[in-house]
Amino acid sequence: MRLEVLAVFLGSSVRLATPLLLAGVGELVSERAGVLNMSVEGMMLTGAFAAAVGAWATGVPLAGLAIGILAVVPVALVQAVLSNTLRANQIVTGIGINILVLGATTLGYRELIGERSRTEIPGLSLWSPPGLGQIPVFGDAVFQQVWLLYAGIVIIVLTALVLRYTGIGIAIHAAGAEPRAVDKSGLSVAFIRYCCVLFTGFMSSLGGAFLSIGDIHTFTEGMTRGAGYLAIASVIFGKWKIGGTILACLLFGAATALQFQLPTLGIDIPNAFLIMLPYLLALLAVGGLTGRQTAPRALGEPFRR
Amino acid sequence: MTRGAAAVRQIESISTEPLLALEGLTKRFGSLVALSDASLAILPGEVHCILGENGAGKSTLCNLVFGVHAADAGAMTLDGRAYRPAGPADALAHGIAMVHQHFSLVPDMRVVDNIVLGQQCGMVNTKAWAARLERLAADYGFALDPFAKIEALSVGERQRVEIVKCLIREPRLFVLDEPTAVLLPDEIEALLDLCRRVAQKGCGIVLVTHKLAEIKRAADRVTVLRGGRVVARSDRPAVEIDALVRAMIQGELQKLDKTAASSLGVAGAGNTRAHLAPVGTPENRVLQVDGLSFVDSQGVTRLDNFNLAVGRGEIVGVAGVEGNGQSELGAALSGMAVAASGHVYVGDVETTKFTPKQMTQTGVAVVPEDRHASGCVLELSVADNIFLNRLETFASYGFLRRRALAAAARELMTRFDVRAQSPDVPFAALSGGNQQKAVLARELTLPNLKVLLASQPTRGLDVGAVTAVYGHIRDACARGVGVLLISSELDELLAVADRIVVLYRGRIMGSCAADPSQREKIGAMMAGHLQ
Amino acid sequence: MATDGATAWSFGRIVRSQLLISVAAVLVAGLVGLGLIFSMHVSVSDAVAAFIDGTIGSPYSLAASINRSIAFGLVGIGFVFANRANLVNVGGEGQIAVGGIAATAVALYGGVQDLPFGLAFLLPLLAAVAAGAIWGAIAAVLKIKAGTNEVISTLLLSFIAVWLLYWTVQSEHLLRKPMTSSATLPESLEIPDTTKLPLLTGDYSFPLHIGLPITIVIAIVVGVVLARTLFGLQLRTVGLNPVAATRAGISYARTVLISLAVAGALGGLAGGFMLLGEQYVLKDGFSSGYGFDGLVAGLLARGSIVGVIAAALLFGFLRSGGINMEMVAAVPTALVMVIQGLIVITLAGAAFFLERQRA
Repeated sequence: MRLEVLAVFLGSSVRLATPLLLAGVGELVSERAGVLNMSVEGMMLTGAFAAAVGAWATGVPLAGLAIGILAVVPVALVQAVLSNTLRANQIVTGIGINILVLGATTLGYRELIGERSRTEIPGLSLWSPPGLGQIPVFGDAVFQQVWLLYAGIVIIVLTALVLRYTGIGIAIHAAGAEPRAVDKSGLSVAFIRYCCVLFTGFMSSLGGAFLSIGDIHTFTEGMTRGAGYLAIASVIFGKWKIGGTILACLLFGAATALQFQLPTLGIDIPNAFLIMLPYLLALLAVGGLTGRQTAPRALGEPFRR
Repeated sequence: MTRGAAAVRQIESISTEPLLALEGLTKRFGSLVALSDASLAILPGEVHCILGENGAGKSTLCNLVFGVHAADAGAMTLDGRAYRPAGPADALAHGIAMVHQHFSLVPDMRVVDNIVLGQQCGMVNTKAWAARLERLAADYGFALDPFAKIEALSVGERQRVEIVKCLIREPRLFVLDEPTAVLLPDEIEALLDLCRRVAQKGCGIVLVTHKLAEIKRAADRVTVLRGGRVVARSDRPAVEIDALVRAMIQGELQKLDKTAASSLGVAGAGNTRAHLAPVGTPENRVLQVDGLSFVDSQGVTRLDNFNLAVGRGEIVGVAGVEGNGQSELGAALSGMAVAASGHVYVGDVETTKFTPKQMTQTGVAVVPEDRHASGCVLELSVADNIFLNRLETFASYGFLRRRALAAAARELMTRFDVRAQSPDVPFAALSGGNQQKAVLARELTLPNLKVLLASQPTRGLDVGAVTAVYGHIRDACARGVGVLLISSELDELLAVADRIVVLYRGRIMGSCAADPSQREKIGAMMAGHLQ
Repeated sequence: MATDGATAWSFGRIVRSQLLISVAAVLVAGLVGLGLIFSMHVSVSDAVAAFIDGTIGSPYSLAASINRSIAFGLVGIGFVFANRANLVNVGGEGQIAVGGIAATAVALYGGVQDLPFGLAFLLPLLAAVAAGAIWGAIAAVLKIKAGTNEVISTLLLSFIAVWLLYWTVQSEHLLRKPMTSSATLPESLEIPDTTKLPLLTGDYSFPLHIGLPITIVIAIVVGVVLARTLFGLQLRTVGLNPVAATRAGISYARTVLISLAVAGALGGLAGGFMLLGEQYVLKDGFSSGYGFDGLVAGLLARGSIVGVIAAALLFGFLRSGGINMEMVAAVPTALVMVIQGLIVITLAGAAFFLERQRA
């Protein structure tokens, strides 16, 4: 019995961690290059909304996913332009975008699909890797996940390789640590940062789409509920390294999974506390439980020649 | 025909076509005219020195050539074709490379990664690059560890990385902006030698400097800048050096204050101390440092068992290039960092664990090496900055008495010749020299001043400001203040200090009297050779 | 604020152009809002009428609008205060929540209801202030000890506080009122009459409470502190260059602690006002959106207390109008969020052009 409960718990943890993973790795790349995107929350919500509407309108979940990705491009561009070209305060612009997106998606949902209706939206299918899916007890519960997760894993691995072994990775690292060095080497700091913000947008939209058309197959207003901020916290927790960020996201996912798991075990902890748990953990993480953080030196500072 | 064009024609008529020709360049920053109608020509294979005081416009000229800024007027030609770089990328593509005063290296990356930056996008074959680096360095006669992290390298080593970064692109024109300011005496020799070798291979070298010794040793031709204008040229700099100096500072070298002359790197200018201050007896000691040690956050020992005593009215020079523990010493004496072990005494009081406020109250003044980082707040007004460490004296019931503050500031500004429109303008509006004078005004007027720690106080200042700064320091000494002068400019220390202590990798290598005859011994100690 | 640097004429010009841009941003966003209303096939005139009705249509709605503005204004003032030291407090919502919790707890169970001299309502208010101050101080301690970015910490604390509120009203062991049936709502009991804030006119059809004069006094005090006192200059110095400030003897830790604690305290006070002055019952989500509105008011104000008041009034009225628009004309309040978001982004981007002009 216990093993099955554990399997379900692991599976839920992974499932709940997935949007954070996708958005977190995306944000990691931006922060390595020196841009702090407070608007990850807004980008995820945009992806969630657009993917849901797209899938509902076309009936094809894949088309919904594509529309979700496309919809995030203008949002990411606005963040990029504001942060790099107009050199606006990155925190202010991020929060502004989040407010705007929350309002716009709520409005949009009510107008397009109708208020408070929990319309069933065609969603992404599950997939299980061959071999792993056949493990007794664990196989199904843990490894049968929405295929977007596995696609995401591939992207994450590629990202890690690029950051570590290519000239692009060196340029990104330099842009966040010493942008002047990048400028004097003949590269464009702005171009690098623009690309990174767009990548963050892309990954965030995948994370958001996972929430709506991957997981619960519907859209609810403000459904990201702070996931974007948890993603940012996971980057800090992970000390701006991919490995650490992934671990942090899994931890947050597990904390969220406890919400559903503990009652079934008969453990009676107030639900509110369990919902609070990921945020509490994130707070402890950024509060130095994992040691003093060393952010990329130029993080949050617009570059001026 | 403009004077600039005439100069270019004259050079063209000699024999070779100029590699780079600048005609009538002008550059303004707001209301400040940094460069005005500047014209000169660089020939391929020559070492062309641009001589001028700090603030004469040399860096601006380099930045225009490298595309960091765009000129407001004038034109540049490269190989006879119009050259208007849109940015450093453009300049690099045209074969122009530049080593800046402030290095543009990423501290937590390795040497090889810094070199690869900007060279390619795809998978990096680190081994191949490392081999290429080592070969290139060997070609030019020095050694380089491709896998060392920049933050672990000394300043001289970092500069070599910057240079290799440029040379690997096989440039046709190589610009070096004040490269010797941070080097040890024998490193300077090596650098000038390197310049010769690079020039011999056909590359044009532009060496920007304010040191006369370098002109004599390395220059083929010289252009002199003063106040943003070209005021003199020479094809035989070693012979015409006096005329060049006259043009640079609009005065005679011999008539210059000795310390000011030392800032131009004129060796053997002689010690300005009228008398040797009494060697510190215990009653006479204003500062005593016993066994001070510092360990940084990565566990590296930055200061190792540092012992020093400074007597009343004595100037002790601490020689050594940046990165050998000077900033840690400054941090300890200003209460900004906690020592791992050791004691510091000011007079009778032990100040080892004092906060900055307590240090100030005990009479310790600090002029930091990077005033913009820790010495001033650029956005606040001049008055606010001058009284930054004792604003409470202008507060009654919590309210600031602004008029009293401004009046007191005006008085100090007059005394220390800080030139500004008014005490209320932002500190950033002042020139470097005036900013430094303002910082001195603040530090030297501490109520019970006993010790002054001045770190690189004349860096970036023109001759006039240097004279003023040392005037104030000497006045303080006459009043009995003990001065600890940290500088990487050996000539400056020889001209001003009573005795010199050499700091290398956080340890004292040795000490001796501040006599020009000791120059070589001190230079050797600065390079880490125990005497 | 350029109270100690710029000469008179350029100061005026900067203020005028900032004002111009703020007004322009609001107008443009407003027009976009009207456009959206139109595209939703709602009669614009109906919507506007409902909006106006909700703001000043009756003494009651006017008082409600002003009461809202008070809450936004306090959060905004707190934001500006902390921002002077370059600290960004985005946890207003959470600080309001804990303030409300503390105020309700003390009012209901603190044994204060029979105390004289107004202590019956003053003590719960003080509890609210203390709770908010503690919430802000947590972020300050994290920043001082671990260098934690206060944006993230105040934000996370806000989420935690909101869920704390949920827990408080859900649990009978905490503040939930005794469940008499399965339909009992998760909320607290109503606070005793003596703990409710006295009204300025004593007339319940115009429920403007003493929070208004208190807030005005606070605004003046904070404005004066920032512009004319030694502490205000120290705040500014720490914000501009913490290293130089430390060297000059200004205590970084003390400054950060006071800044964020005050910002939190003002947020807590807002929560206290909302509970003791208007709502009288602690409910889940009562602080929803107030934190961000106050934050945006603070951002809009660009460092000026007068600006905060203006922005707070604007948003207070916007919100009241929006609520009525939703009830009567079926225009979702999300529209107001869209307008706010547009204003923030426009102003943040416009700062670039202001900088250019000054240089």
